[in-house]
Amino acid sequence: MSGFLKMLGRNKKVSFGLFIVITYLLIALSAPLLTSHEPNKRVARPHQAPNAENVMGTTRMGRDVYHLFIHGTATSLAVGFGAGLIIVIIGTALGVSAGYFGGKYDEVVSLLTNVALVVPQLPLLLVLAAFIGEASPMTIAIIIGFTSWAWGARVTRSQTLTLRNKEFIQASELACEPSWRIIFVEILPNLSSIIGLNFLGSIIYTIITEATLEFLGLGDPLAVSWGTMLFNAQNASAMTVGAWWEVLVPCVAIAILGMGLALLNFGIDEIANPRLRTFSGIKRFNKRVKQLKAASLNTPNNAKQSTNGVIYDN
Amino acid sequence: MDFVLRRLGFYLIAFFFAATFNFFLPRLMPGDPITVMFSSQGNPLPVESIAALKETFGFVDGPLYEQYFIYLKSVVTWDLGSSVKYFPQTVNEVLGRSMVWTLFLVGTSTLISFFIGSISGIIAAWNRGGWLDSILSPLSLVLQSIPAVVLALLFMFVFGVALNWLPYSYAYDIELDPAFSWEYISSVISHATMPIISLVIVQIGGYLLTIRNNLINLLGEDYIVMGRAKGLSETRVMFNYGARNALLPSITAFAMTVGVVLGGSLITEVVFNYPGLGNTLFEAIVSRDYPVIQGQLLIMTLAMLSANFVADMAYVYLDPRLRRD
Repeated sequence: MSGFLKMLGRNKKVSFGLFIVITYLLIALSAPLLTSHEPNKRVARPHQAPNAENVMGTTRMGRDVYHLFIHGTATSLAVGFGAGLIIVIIGTALGVSAGYFGGKYDEVVSLLTNVALVVPQLPLLLVLAAFIGEASPMTIAIIIGFTSWAWGARVTRSQTLTLRNKEFIQASELACEPSWRIIFVEILPNLSSIIGLNFLGSIIYTIITEATLEFLGLGDPLAVSWGTMLFNAQNASAMTVGAWWEVLVPCVAIAILGMGLALLNFGIDEIANPRLRTFSGIKRFNKRVKQLKAASLNTPNNAKQSTNGVIYDN
Repeated sequence: MDFVLRRLGFYLIAFFFAATFNFFLPRLMPGDPITVMFSSQGNPLPVESIAALKETFGFVDGPLYEQYFIYLKSVVTWDLGSSVKYFPQTVNEVLGRSMVWTLFLVGTSTLISFFIGSISGIIAAWNRGGWLDSILSPLSLVLQSIPAVVLALLFMFVFGVALNWLPYSYAYDIELDPAFSWEYISSVISHATMPIISLVIVQIGGYLLTIRNNLINLLGEDYIVMGRAKGLSETRVMFNYGARNALLPSITAFAMTVGVVLGGSLITEVVFNYPGLGNTLFEAIVSRDYPVIQGQLLIMTLAMLSANFVADMAYVYLDPRLRRD
């Protein structure tokens, strides 16, 4: 375990991504400590530029953008982690069971997965949210969670199929181990990097989709989140009246969190598949190869001279 | 041939699933679907066209399976009724008008990102660990995780509002009449620039990473060594030996991205008030124009399915192993 942590620390991308994500988590968890009042309270005159009292300015409704941002962080992270968990659980359960048990059950699950993969996601979610009407962040998390498991199911299924034919699984089967034990003790640990990638990817996807749905006005307008901040900013035509802070704060918040999660994802991918690495180890390797090449370029020259010498001798 | 038929069968089933979902969606929702669906907010519909619309969607008296068959018939004959909001225009007219713009946005941005993304991915993989690779690969992952809505808003703010370089609303200058003139065409191009750039940024990272990761896995293969041993130029080995084989998964990625691009295009169109399918869907949802929503979902499903089918066909053409059996 400590070796694994060391590896995480050595990878610059992972450390940087982890730093960003942990900062956001700390902001979300200590939201009550960082703020002094309800985020939706009117505290100042509308559209105040950032100043000493309102460090991120105010909205057209006279709400403090800083307070909205802090509480919005908590909402977005909760929605992202919640939906990510649902997606990973459903996807992994379907994928592993289909890959392990096979047969008719596998055929049905694979068909459903493939259908879910070719149906356009966002338009469907839009229509669903519109029918539910003013969906709260929790409702949005639930509908995203229950509609986005297909990719995870497909990937874990194909990995399970590969694992299933490995000797150690067949040995466990011959030893008459119960199938639940084979799945949980033998197969799942070998899928951990894929499940991790799926979880991080799903969090990014959910946070993006939640913000999009709320920006379009399909969420609960009273909820405090980055998406409703964007929606209210757009409604107040904040950009055209020059209140850039109202738009910029949620945009940058989403972009930086997305970046942190993406770097974490990329790093885990590199650790699981060393060939994909871009970091300094390979740079050193490439440098060494160049040096060796340069050195070997010098030797053939000498060789040539000597052959030339041979030719002259003749 | 067997493969093609099997895929076609699958797409038929998928379309059938989507259509069925469309049928049950309004019926599962709380409240009376008919009042929700056909109560238009602006112009009231004539009684007989409401009746015709209800029949199109299978809202007739009778058991559910009868309603379902009437609905399926109207989907198969593509008789989607008329729009509630833009009455008396039919759904086909409304969608046909906006589809051109979406095809323009999605098509152009997909082509640009496929070429630029793939070529830079190939170069990044070939010089793995070089400066280009260590900048482009993490960057494309980061760009991929920035939502289209944020990109579009930031572009609009920086280049539209603050710098005032490019127009940021609608598809062309409304004072101009659509005509085949330089003035009109240049107006269309300048209005499309920001939406297209945002869409390119949304998808380009995916193409770059897919081909990079595949090519890296192929670098040690014998035929690459063989190409080098024959004394071929580095570019020849890179493109004709390496990239050619690494391209196959990019084609699957292309089919998968169509869904992402349709979603991205939807939000980009809303932000830039671009008169494409996405904006039409959004307006239809806001005004509860159910016939248009319904037609939209079917068209977008068909678009996804055809993209997947094109990818399948490309696979059969490019990968001889699939043709053998």
